[in-house]
Amino acid sequence: MNNIKEIKNEILNEKYYEIDHSSGLKIFVYPKENYSSCYAIFGTKYGSTDNCFKAGKNGEYITVPEGIAHFLEHKLFESEERGAFERYSETGASANAYTSFDKTCYLFSCTGNFSASLEILLDFVTSPYFTPETVSKEQGIIGQEIKMTNDEPSWASLFTLLKAMYKTHPVSIDIAGTVQSISEITADLLYECYNAFYNLNNMALAVAGNVTVEEVLAVADKILKPSEEKQIERKFENEPKEVVSRYAEKHLDVSRPLFAIGYKEDVGNTRRTLKQTLESEIMLDIIAGKTSALYEKMMESGLVNTTFYSEYFEGLGYGAHIFSGESENPEEVRRRIDEEILRLQSEGIDRREFERIKKKHYGKFIMGFDDVDAVANFLINDYFNGDASFDGLAVLESITVEDINRRLNEAIDVNNSSMSVIKAE
Amino acid sequence: MSNVKYNETADGIRLLCVNTGKFKTNFISIDLFAPIGEDLPAQYVLCSLLAHTSRDYPTFKSFNSKVEGLYGASFDSGIGSYGDNVRLSFCLELPDDRFALYKDTPSEEAVDFLINILLNPLCKNGRFDEEAAKREIRFTLEDLEAKKNDKRAYALSRLKQLMCEGEKYGVDSEWLENGVRDVTSERLFEAYKNLLSTAQIAVTACGTLSQDMLCEKITAFANNIENRKPVKLTSEFVTGAGEIRYFSESMKMMNQAKLVIGFRSGMENDTDSYYAYRIMTDVFGGGPYSRLFTNVREKLSLCYYCGARLIRQKGIIFVQSGIEKKNYNKALDEILNQLAVMKNGEFTDEELESSKKALADAYCGVEDSPMGVCTYYASQCFADEIISGEEEAQAFSAVTREDVIKCAQKTAADSVYLLSGEENDE
Repeated sequence: MNNIKEIKNEILNEKYYEIDHSSGLKIFVYPKENYSSCYAIFGTKYGSTDNCFKAGKNGEYITVPEGIAHFLEHKLFESEERGAFERYSETGASANAYTSFDKTCYLFSCTGNFSASLEILLDFVTSPYFTPETVSKEQGIIGQEIKMTNDEPSWASLFTLLKAMYKTHPVSIDIAGTVQSISEITADLLYECYNAFYNLNNMALAVAGNVTVEEVLAVADKILKPSEEKQIERKFENEPKEVVSRYAEKHLDVSRPLFAIGYKEDVGNTRRTLKQTLESEIMLDIIAGKTSALYEKMMESGLVNTTFYSEYFEGLGYGAHIFSGESENPEEVRRRIDEEILRLQSEGIDRREFERIKKKHYGKFIMGFDDVDAVANFLINDYFNGDASFDGLAVLESITVEDINRRLNEAIDVNNSSMSVIKAE
Repeated sequence: MSNVKYNETADGIRLLCVNTGKFKTNFISIDLFAPIGEDLPAQYVLCSLLAHTSRDYPTFKSFNSKVEGLYGASFDSGIGSYGDNVRLSFCLELPDDRFALYKDTPSEEAVDFLINILLNPLCKNGRFDEEAAKREIRFTLEDLEAKKNDKRAYALSRLKQLMCEGEKYGVDSEWLENGVRDVTSERLFEAYKNLLSTAQIAVTACGTLSQDMLCEKITAFANNIENRKPVKLTSEFVTGAGEIRYFSESMKMMNQAKLVIGFRSGMENDTDSYYAYRIMTDVFGGGPYSRLFTNVREKLSLCYYCGARLIRQKGIIFVQSGIEKKNYNKALDEILNQLAVMKNGEFTDEELESSKKALADAYCGVEDSPMGVCTYYASQCFADEIISGEEEAQAFSAVTREDVIKCAQKTAADSVYLLSGEENDE
């Protein structure tokens, strides 16, 4: 029996359906009127940081090679007979997949043959087929993917920073692993990870666009078999509050130095709430957003250029406010950001500035609901994070300038930051 | 299909309006097109300058506050080639007025803002603000120099330059960078005046913006431009290639080599057998069903990516791949071998059908996002007839095996370019 709940939002004048499918899978269906296309995403709460885990009551913790979640994502597209891409080529759907720090998702978009494409998606993700030969073939392909990302300065900058900030947390490990670590992956290890995390109770399906609940359930009922709930325990060693080092650098052939400055937040073994995340985003705009005095001064004095930006980076067991860009003098950028944070911590935030930026985030939130791919991704991300997708609007509305002042003092310590610099030799 | 209307508001200015209430967003873009010429370095600086300040909003803070004040509007600008022409784009996306909190009309304000960026920049007495010009020259130079950070894009731009030397499309990057360095505030103003006077201009809007309002504002915009003499756009199509030319360059500290191959497709203009060429390119190196993906990547495990792309405005096909340097000959041979397979018609009916289905499916969905709508229709701004995504889908479906073989047979490799790390030299 499938349990269906309708969730509405009056401001957006939109609704979606949340379904507890009899197989154990959580399903979201977000119909969009007058749209031709559909976007479906089927994901598991399993990413690159899940390197040490225990599945089932009596199991023992196992440690697996770095990059295995991403490797598994590549391999699921193959099967004993016809691979997923070959099957999709008959429906015309455009398919893809991605692995992040905490999830692996398989997706497609289409305008026709939706049910046939959804059947392929649900079927191939629930039908693993790994052999030593196919594993070996993939090592060559992923080896090239790793080498490609190793040449990307912004990627190198982020991971150099994460290694400088995190001592034990696996967020500092490259999502695809290394050429060495993926050489240790075997078909048996892939099955072990698959059986632990690709349990329908640990997964979700989100579909948005020209679609009905009935169409989705007809396929889900046909393909999905009930899955026994499995307890998954992830093990992370205790991460120290302090950063590993204040500075780290790496050499690549770049035109000018790239920097990333991260202020490490002590989050213990939890993840931040939706409210804290939104507060951080508003706070970053106030510190160094495009309308801030700091941004203007740094741009005008030639210290940074148009590549400068900030982001709040967070997940289970990690959180950091990060400022990145290009500069001939990254140390000076760091000094100015520190100075501005200290000033705001002591003087407090301007209320009018806060109201303007809050209004901006209100608009950005509204605009996020036009694209079917953005909507389906929100649904699955928010579910895995323990949030509901329309909640952001009410949470944003509830945030006050006092909340931002409090968060600024609690979440950022200028003495606990790292900086990575990527520069030519 | 949406309600698509277009009209020539003035000579060389086309307004294309897609009225629909299905989105929560309004999107408006203004694209200016002009032949690539001596003004190009100044146009690069201009694009950056116009996107950061204006007469009414002379500082970063005031300019960006205005944009953000439009309920978090996203403002974007860019410059790039469109065949042998340059294209400068300025666009704004913001929530529809029905979401405004204070009974304001941000969308109309957005249109005025965008027009004013072009009409009233930060200049007086025949020159741009000196300080602003210097700063934008720096941003532009840093942006151009940073292109080598992205090795994949850099390799492609080097091949374009080497292969298309002598054509406007093959812009010399050194010439461009030096030109940017030499730009003065007077020269910038001259280039600005030239651009407004000679450019073909496309205004594209999607959402609930009234066409009458837009038409009125764009007509007034046109009337405010002095000495308007729009120049017709053309692009040179080189058909056929001689002996393949080989180029090889190296960079320090590079893990993966980049292979780029440029082909002359044989297209004589941008409508010449376009649908058949597009399908041929897709069967050759489009999606995961393509010859390049299934052979170079899946069968031979030589790379993570290997794909082909047709540049419609030049009739050129580019193939790009990231490989181990030691596999250069193997990868090149296999890519050329797959083109031979296409020429000999040795691809399967299933491969052809996969490609037709994938392209038809994708084109049926172009009207499902405001930006998608504007990007799609702006690409047709100079077409005699505007056609919908669904109509294009039908045109793809009508392509036959014989059409594809004919296109492949006309396609010839022109230049091969390899960029690799110095440390990987054997």
